[in-house]
Amino acid sequence: MPRLLLLLPTSTYRATAFVEAARQLGVELTVASEQPSTLEAANPAGLLTIDFEQPERAAEAVRIFARQYPIDGVAGVDDKTALIAAAIATKLGLKGNPVHAAMAASDKYLQREQLALARVPIPRFLLRSLEDDPAEIAKSIVYPCVVKPVRLSASRGVIRADNPTGFVAAHARLRAILQDPETAAACGDRARHYLIEEFISGYEVALEGLVINRRLHVLTLFDKPDPLDGPFFEETIYVTPSSVPTALQKAITDCAERAVRAIGIVEGPIHAELRYNERGPWLIELAARPIGGRCSAVLRFGDHGVSLEELILRHAIGMPIPSLQRERLAAGVMMIPIPGAGTLKEVRGVAEARRVPLVEDVQITAHPGERLVPFPEGSRYPGFIFARGETPAVVETALRDAHRRLTFVVE
Amino acid sequence: MAPEIRITAEPIDNQRCKFVVSVPVLAGGVRRFASADDAAGSPLAEAIFAIPGLAVREVIISGNIVTVSKESPAPWQAVGKSVGMAIRGALASAVPPVAAAPRPPGAVTDDALYEQVARVFDEQVNPMVARHGGHVELIDVQDAVVMLRMGGGCQGCGMADVTLRQGIEGMLAQLVPAVRGIVDITDHTSGSNPYFQASKK
Repeated sequence: MPRLLLLLPTSTYRATAFVEAARQLGVELTVASEQPSTLEAANPAGLLTIDFEQPERAAEAVRIFARQYPIDGVAGVDDKTALIAAAIATKLGLKGNPVHAAMAASDKYLQREQLALARVPIPRFLLRSLEDDPAEIAKSIVYPCVVKPVRLSASRGVIRADNPTGFVAAHARLRAILQDPETAAACGDRARHYLIEEFISGYEVALEGLVINRRLHVLTLFDKPDPLDGPFFEETIYVTPSSVPTALQKAITDCAERAVRAIGIVEGPIHAELRYNERGPWLIELAARPIGGRCSAVLRFGDHGVSLEELILRHAIGMPIPSLQRERLAAGVMMIPIPGAGTLKEVRGVAEARRVPLVEDVQITAHPGERLVPFPEGSRYPGFIFARGETPAVVETALRDAHRRLTFVVE
Repeated sequence: MAPEIRITAEPIDNQRCKFVVSVPVLAGGVRRFASADDAAGSPLAEAIFAIPGLAVREVIISGNIVTVSKESPAPWQAVGKSVGMAIRGALASAVPPVAAAPRPPGAVTDDALYEQVARVFDEQVNPMVARHGGHVELIDVQDAVVMLRMGGGCQGCGMADVTLRQGIEGMLAQLVPAVRGIVDITDHTSGSNPYFQASKK
């Protein structure tokens, strides 16, 4: 029976989805995390601890592990573990991305440099040090602009500025975010740098894809019906299929394909965020990982409703993929907006929200007593709402209706 | 007049859904039905297995909770009402909705398995998960399937499924091989102090 190495950060939302997908496939599973499981000694073949901060060291540890427990495929679930997976795949000769591609996919500056070289349409950008005088920088940049950390995800720390005063304020706020030791550690050697990027107006979409032997297969295109104009960029609703005209969808897909080639992604899942306006599509972000949070639960493929996680694991381990065709029905997910700063006491109305027609589930992931931190400092959504129906419009209406029935008691 | 029966569907995912009933369905213990044949003699489980097109894989009944697993890709929103009707119909009947579990002759009894699993939990699993402030409670063994509930740091932990499938399941497979499966009946959404907390998008 083939053995799959699944790289799961202990902070992931997605352990259950991936572990259950692996069980469906009947493969031998080893879960590697950056912190030890309390039961690791009881199942040394199934649980492993490796250093997610040092890809080469992690790959060497897995090479030694694989002498005793040979590995047939490796999969990561987020930006950091996608890089570790690439290092392991390279070291062990498994299917995967080259390390430079995974690195570029997780580093916004490297990514933009490569996309610019390949003439993929992207916003104009600058890399600056946090130590540089923001008042001086503010005099020389074009507005509106967006400041971004180089290595954080989920729009954390992303702030729009419309003028020099706004830029200096955004800089101060980002600097404070990056001073947090845990956040700084997540950014590695980019913790003292940030991007200043041209703000691209327009409608935003997210493309979910699977690259198989260098070819991008589009799994779905999500519309993001709520405007993302800042000053912060908290996401809310994703709904598919997209209502973007077919010709424009083709242009968006072509743009994503060019970006995938430019970065050098050759295998595995991708998640791309693009905008389009009167000048065409723009690549905003490309990641060598699947969609985040619990959003993937809304995607089902083929006649048997195969999950996105199962597709990814089948591909990683070389098992046949029955279908890459998403189901006929429209589907959507709402990342529940953070209701405010404070300590969550309770959430009311969950049962009522679940009873809204077309709503399949409401998952509250924040726990009582948890501190809620709004964007741009925070990025953890308190929960997710899922709906499915005949058209994207009715799905979107159901998501909003369910959300209205929820009351977050925060003190 | 019989009290009104209220049933709330709480989907776990597209395959599994908990139905919380406002009156007790099975007082004491847990019963698990893995097929329509298993369900014979328990009208509530029979009725759920008989729902057309649902392709029920498993029904677990404990206290006032009925957990249904299905093969059908149909959303719970569409099929939940049929399950609710089946539960209501069985509870309205004069016949007990769930029969006592049969004891196959010669097989390792669930009581014996319970003792063995409890020993593994007490002596091995719990001392280990206690390092993360967690504990695992053995609720019942039914047809050689272990029902457990996680608490403390394990309840709501982002890695709870890893602990369950990669840790506890493997230990039981090795130490109590007669165990056929494990069902986690924890309400993870109520966990107030999970050891690992999901925080990434």
